[in-house]
Amino acid sequence: MTLATIAGLSYWYPGSEAPALRDINLTLESGDFALLAGRSAGGKSTLLRVFNGLVPQFHGGRMTGLATVAGHNPARTPSRQMALTAGMVFQEPEAQAVAETVEEEVAFGLEQQAVERSEIARRLDAALGAISIEHLRHRRLHTLSGGERQRVALASVLALEPRLLLLDEPTSQLDPAGAEALVAALERTRQQRDVCILVAEHRLERLLPSVNRVVEVAGGAATAMTAEEAALGLESVPPATWLARTHAGSPAISLEAARRVLPALAAAAIAPPAPGDALLEAAGLTVAYGEHIALRDASFTLREGEVVALTGANGSGKSTLFRALTGLARLHAGTFRYPRHGTDQGSGTRAITANAGLVPQDPAIALYHESVREELAETLRNRGKHRPAPADVTATAARWGIEQLAAANPRDVSVGQQQRVAIAAMLAHDPAVWLLDEPTRGADGPAKAWLAGRLREHAAGGGAAIVATHDVESAAQYATRVVGLREGVIEFDLPARQAFAADGPLPTQTARLVPGAITIDEVRRA
Amino acid sequence: MTPGAWIAWVTLVMVVALATTNPLYLGIVLLCVVLVAAFAPRTGTGATSFRALVVFGLVMMAVSLFVATVNGSYGDHVLFTVPGPSIPRWLGGLHLGGPVSAEGLAAASIRGTAILCVLFAFGVFNGAVSPHRVLRSTPAALFHASLIVTVGLTLLPSSIEDLRRIREMRALRGARTGVRELPALVVPAVIGGLERSMRLAEAMEARGYAASARPPLLPRLAAAASAPLLIAASWTWFYSEDWRWLGAVFALAGAGCLGWWFVAANRAQRTTRFRTEPTPLVERLAIVASLAGCVAVLALRFLGEANMTYNPFAGLPPLTMSPLGAAVALLCAWPAAVLLFQPDATTERAPEAEPSFAQDPAR
Repeated sequence: MTLATIAGLSYWYPGSEAPALRDINLTLESGDFALLAGRSAGGKSTLLRVFNGLVPQFHGGRMTGLATVAGHNPARTPSRQMALTAGMVFQEPEAQAVAETVEEEVAFGLEQQAVERSEIARRLDAALGAISIEHLRHRRLHTLSGGERQRVALASVLALEPRLLLLDEPTSQLDPAGAEALVAALERTRQQRDVCILVAEHRLERLLPSVNRVVEVAGGAATAMTAEEAALGLESVPPATWLARTHAGSPAISLEAARRVLPALAAAAIAPPAPGDALLEAAGLTVAYGEHIALRDASFTLREGEVVALTGANGSGKSTLFRALTGLARLHAGTFRYPRHGTDQGSGTRAITANAGLVPQDPAIALYHESVREELAETLRNRGKHRPAPADVTATAARWGIEQLAAANPRDVSVGQQQRVAIAAMLAHDPAVWLLDEPTRGADGPAKAWLAGRLREHAAGGGAAIVATHDVESAAQYATRVVGLREGVIEFDLPARQAFAADGPLPTQTARLVPGAITIDEVRRA
Repeated sequence: MTPGAWIAWVTLVMVVALATTNPLYLGIVLLCVVLVAAFAPRTGTGATSFRALVVFGLVMMAVSLFVATVNGSYGDHVLFTVPGPSIPRWLGGLHLGGPVSAEGLAAASIRGTAILCVLFAFGVFNGAVSPHRVLRSTPAALFHASLIVTVGLTLLPSSIEDLRRIREMRALRGARTGVRELPALVVPAVIGGLERSMRLAEAMEARGYAASARPPLLPRLAAAASAPLLIAASWTWFYSEDWRWLGAVFALAGAGCLGWWFVAANRAQRTTRFRTEPTPLVERLAIVASLAGCVAVLALRFLGEANMTYNPFAGLPPLTMSPLGAAVALLCAWPAAVLLFQPDATTERAPEAEPSFAQDPAR
């Protein structure tokens, strides 16, 4: 049964000349599990919001064409009524909660609809049960992990019993365990209820095998296809799908499917350059927040040419390690030293970061200048160049591939570009050691590939980096070594080849298909 | 204890502490508040502000005493003299320093104690009840207004967290700290806060949250009319003794208009409450007693009974109190009795597993 149709729809954001969506034609059936794929800023989020009327009712702007969802025109139906038809889960778990406890949060939407108390009780049980979070019922939201909060957000939408479920990059802020739990909850929902699910997402490994339809959104235009067609046609696909496409010419939506179709392949391992002198020596680092020990007895050495992928679940101490290494977190015990500049734990953040640049999560919030050029110039100025020459600023912009944005306001560029500008602003003075905290969170394929290239370049030039990440596939592109943290303790510290191998702690898809290779670049026909 | 009961208690403390200047009564109230604080739960999100409010109260007390000292004071019992300049009378006649009298210090401590009592009581209230619980027990007519306040209060900590993170990022970029750095901190924090509010507003709209349904036209006009009526009431009341009856009529009319709007707005609001907290009989009695206490204190004050006022400048007269006044002041301790016999059940209802550490940085 057809649930939603969009016919000849185009949309312009307020004050924008170019349309964000152009001539969209799309039909969704009841029971569909559909994926919206495509680059950042291509129009995925906008298209998603057409289905529940946030575009244009909340965002304004101009729209032509027609959308119909379960008999309603979302562009005109009041949000109070539309919420019963189309429910939406947003990217950030923190930015969508209004209540204090899980139970209140799930009941909130029902209370707004003046649903009877006994009925609220029934739907609460059903929604919490449907995604197995009954045990969280009386917990306070701020004590939950990101993955748990995202499932609570899903439950509070399910409680309204919508027929269309919209999710806007729901796993981009979650660690692998949290993302896995959310996708499992979606699959269970689809089995239990007569509902159509539409997910916009970049992380396809887990979703591609589950969905029955894929809509590619690029440049504001949408193309509908089956999952198999997507496996052959999408720009960015998981490595297993990519290998099946390039080496067998056939669609594979999962690792198992790829294994069935792939011919015998051989590995042509690319050896990382040999590490040089030590750039950072840390011994026995321990950090405690009150009673909680966030980092315990961490020791390691970082050498020229090394790129370390720092992995571990949320809360395992990755950010704490970075804060300790830049003097932001007080050390309970232990020492560290950057031999090349002679700075150590007693030097203070300003002195340490002259040699070791830290890019925290969401660095874009600190941007405040009118232009990208001024942002870069400020960091250079802070780092001792009293009046940085325009040529210096231009060279920095070129190094980060943002020279064409130099005059733009950092708040006006796309999210992906903003992220790049923010990283460039934090590292404009070109320190030898880079510390990056989840730089690929929510990034699309091309953005990840760009960052991987930048890291390899930096290492080849005698620099070194530590990158905290959940993204194993993209880490395999740049890491020479992998350090795993678990509850504040270094669990393993291995060369990348071992860590990402099929029998290692973090096997990549490629490694599981082609023994000896860890990335698709290392795979050759046997 | 329910939020309503806590609000009744805070109101009682506030009224008693501000209505009396008798140090004996104030001392009783302060001791009562300390006693309640010892029994009160500290589970609300405002628990951190408890200490801040107590410290603020003590600072206010100190400032009050300091100002009394620096300003010099009149009175017969001069303790010591602070040397300081005087400005000639034709320039305003202000003087710093001068004789410091026991009377001046006594008056300053009385003011300080009253403020300390009120701030301390608010601290206890903040720690015991989260804004979300208060929201749950507001009448329907005020639901949307209180929801906005509650959500605002929830966003506040994340904005403070933003400021902290932006400051760190400034340090990571090698920026010096100073007044000139202020725009670099404030601009991104404000923009970030606005963006977060917009995202929350969008999420709420997607979940069917709509602005509150409006009551019919007439009650709304009545609500609008209540403001001029109440202004007219206070004006005529204080204008002349002879016109007080008219002031009372205006006040009643204004209150009636507001009441009408309140009832109509309650009826127009089409939302349900899943969980409401029933108020146990003991607490209902305590709420009634608190309100009676407020009325009693105000009546005693206006009738000039029960030694409610104390004027140290009348030559530091000996302190006296009446049993009735002391009884009303002692009433401020009632939550201690309630909590002693039935420890707060609501804190047990939400079994908190160990806090998760979803975010690394110091929280």
